[in-house]
Amino acid sequence: MAGALSSLKVVEIGEMASAPYASKLMADMGAEVIKVERPGAGDHARVRGPFPGGQPHPEKSGLFLYLNTNKLGVTLDIARPEGFEILEKLVAQADVLIHNVWPPDMDRAGLNFERLRKVNPRLVMTSITPFGLTGPYRNLRAEELTVWSAGGVCVLNGAGPDHPELPPLKTFGHQAGFQGGVHGAVATMGAVMAQLRDGEGQHVDVSCQEAIASQLELTFEYWPYMKLIATRLGKKPIQPLEAMQCKDGWIYVCCVEEHQWKAFVDLMGNPEWAGEEIFADRLKRGENWEALVIFLEEYVREQTVLELYKKAQARRIPFAPVSTMGDLLNSEHLQARGFFVEIAQPVAGTHKYPGAPLKYGATPWEIRMPAPILGQHNGEIFGQRLGLSAARLDQLKRTGVI
Amino acid sequence: MARPPLDGIRIADFTWVWAGPYCTLQLAHLGADVIRIETKTRPCVTRLLPPWPDMKPGGMNRSGYFNQYSQGKRSVTLNFKDPAAHEIARKLIAKSDVVINNFAHGVMEKMGFGYEAVRKIKPDIIAISLTGYGDTGPYRDYIAYGPAQVPLSGLSALTGYRDWPPMHAGFSYADPNGGVHGAFAIIAALFHRAKTGQGQYIDMSQWECAMGVLAEGILEYTMNGREPERIGNEDPQMAPHGIYRCVDRPDKVMGVVVDQFVAIAVADEAEFGRFASTIGKPQLCGDTKFATLKARKSNEQELNRIVEEWTVSHTAVEVARVLQEAGIAAAVVADNKFLSEEDPHLKERNYFVYKEHPEVGTLQHCGMPWKMSRTETSVRSAAPCIGQHTDEVLTEVLGYSADDVAKLRAQGALD
Repeated sequence: MAGALSSLKVVEIGEMASAPYASKLMADMGAEVIKVERPGAGDHARVRGPFPGGQPHPEKSGLFLYLNTNKLGVTLDIARPEGFEILEKLVAQADVLIHNVWPPDMDRAGLNFERLRKVNPRLVMTSITPFGLTGPYRNLRAEELTVWSAGGVCVLNGAGPDHPELPPLKTFGHQAGFQGGVHGAVATMGAVMAQLRDGEGQHVDVSCQEAIASQLELTFEYWPYMKLIATRLGKKPIQPLEAMQCKDGWIYVCCVEEHQWKAFVDLMGNPEWAGEEIFADRLKRGENWEALVIFLEEYVREQTVLELYKKAQARRIPFAPVSTMGDLLNSEHLQARGFFVEIAQPVAGTHKYPGAPLKYGATPWEIRMPAPILGQHNGEIFGQRLGLSAARLDQLKRTGVI
Repeated sequence: MARPPLDGIRIADFTWVWAGPYCTLQLAHLGADVIRIETKTRPCVTRLLPPWPDMKPGGMNRSGYFNQYSQGKRSVTLNFKDPAAHEIARKLIAKSDVVINNFAHGVMEKMGFGYEAVRKIKPDIIAISLTGYGDTGPYRDYIAYGPAQVPLSGLSALTGYRDWPPMHAGFSYADPNGGVHGAFAIIAALFHRAKTGQGQYIDMSQWECAMGVLAEGILEYTMNGREPERIGNEDPQMAPHGIYRCVDRPDKVMGVVVDQFVAIAVADEAEFGRFASTIGKPQLCGDTKFATLKARKSNEQELNRIVEEWTVSHTAVEVARVLQEAGIAAAVVADNKFLSEEDPHLKERNYFVYKEHPEVGTLQHCGMPWKMSRTETSVRSAAPCIGQHTDEVLTEVLGYSADDVAKLRAQGALD
């Protein structure tokens, strides 16, 4: 059985997380993705790591290898006219172009929809950029930290009211990039459905800042509805909802409903303090958290994470371990679901990677090939597919176009 | 403008709380007819939570939480204690392309709407369950609450100030992350159905979707057997790279002054040169403690103190502006008021949605994070009041007469 998107042809011009994640989601579902990288250095993710043994190497970056599974890799300088001409040939044969070229660089290269629709009127072109292609922030310099902050999520995270001196805290990794990517994948697939219906393409403009702002849960609406600012310094109205230390690691103690708290008290052996009026309901437990935490710590620190987790869940209390990476790899649940997959790549070797984010009943999610070596498929794509002669390829290589 | 991309696609939406509604919000944004199946006997918890306009709680239709994530959807109320409600739901599924839920594992089967049941009603249906743990595996019956899914995913162990305990993401990140991955999967399955006529079942685990976005942490472990250290707002390849205090906002919340920060990321040596000049300390570039990235990483605390000495006497808007003028990535660490009222960019992009709602009036909500050049991209309507479209859907979509509906209502099937 072929993947759900096996008839879809995608060209990606992507760096780091956003556009590469969007096209990875498609590639892992069977789409053909041709990834275009800069000649020489390639995708910046190649220098980000993590690397085996901590030794930087462009073919061994964990971030790059993860984000570019199942893609064909070519190198092409699209800022050069000869390079752009070849891009037009690639795009002429594709259904979708996904890119995250920085808008000022788009302008310099002349990378725009009006130009590309002339070679392919069916083309869906998706631009995933930090702030979108209109508005005063269009050309701002941006990095993961600044986009995550501009989206309004970062301000909510931090040490809380006991440590107002500590700043808002970035969430690990490249979440702004990943969210731009997955929202971009949704919008792209929407445009692909319209392409299927109407036989026409279009330009999709995705803003990472907006993708983040779309996820502010109830906190954004606190301003328009109640004129309240939400920050990291707010005290949690209900408790317990905290990570606490066990003998061998951390567990997230979580009682939202009253019956969950009662079940937890029962699990702790119905200690006398639990009957105190100041802990009588979740709001009071929130107000009197400083007192409650002392009692809870006394119990939790004597437990082991996995045992307490399982005992709590057996009583329908939604505790969860604060999983370390080792916990994830060793989880009996994830192993039973076959989540992690081994991928062998000739230079980097064989490692375990996160696998399918969703399981499809009828169509496979599968790794058909590892991420490409820089320029690995230049011959196959430029030569066999586009019909450029060996002499022409040589010349393009000498002049640094490919 | 042409019709929206998913115009004509109907979603029988059994979801509630956040992950599911966030998923179907994406589909509504793309023009699908999302019909939320609700009950007044046990309304979605987000209908009952703050924020409420004018600080006044009350009713099931005034929560900003619900009203944000149900924009553009319709609401039908069915009370499944009445067998007639099951019959109505079966008819709705027969007229739908997708059935979606985010109940605990097994609940849909008990209700009679598991995949095997719904494919008998509509053979090419696409069914998806958004659960915390997925549909298989030894923990499939475990309960998942939004706040606990962040630590479960591994994100907490990776996030935190240096030498501090694991921290949170500040919101129930695994919910919307799972929801939006679910939306991608649904459209991919719609594409496959359009090509082959085949529907299918999709098993989504929030936990697994979340691990998909923290691969760098997992790869550090699988490549090197090491747990990554928590590094706060630092970056291994950039310095300065942090969130720095600016002058306080003129606002107070519950009597507490609202503080204000700017995020700054200096990417390379050329940028550091411009940065040092901009803050009036060009001599930093010649100082052996700061002249190279390696040196700056070794003396990062001292460097951060120097940066903050400068930022703390400016507003975040000013700092971001002068650094951007010097070609350096900097942004206000935006809060909800800043996004709502002060960010000129979101305003100019018409990101926000203002639709009349019968009980809260016309309030500001977040819109969709994309624009399309050919197909309609605008939010169709404000979030529905509970049961607002029961009559409309039963008569126009399912073919019941007004008399049938009155009878069903009288017997309590539409509560």
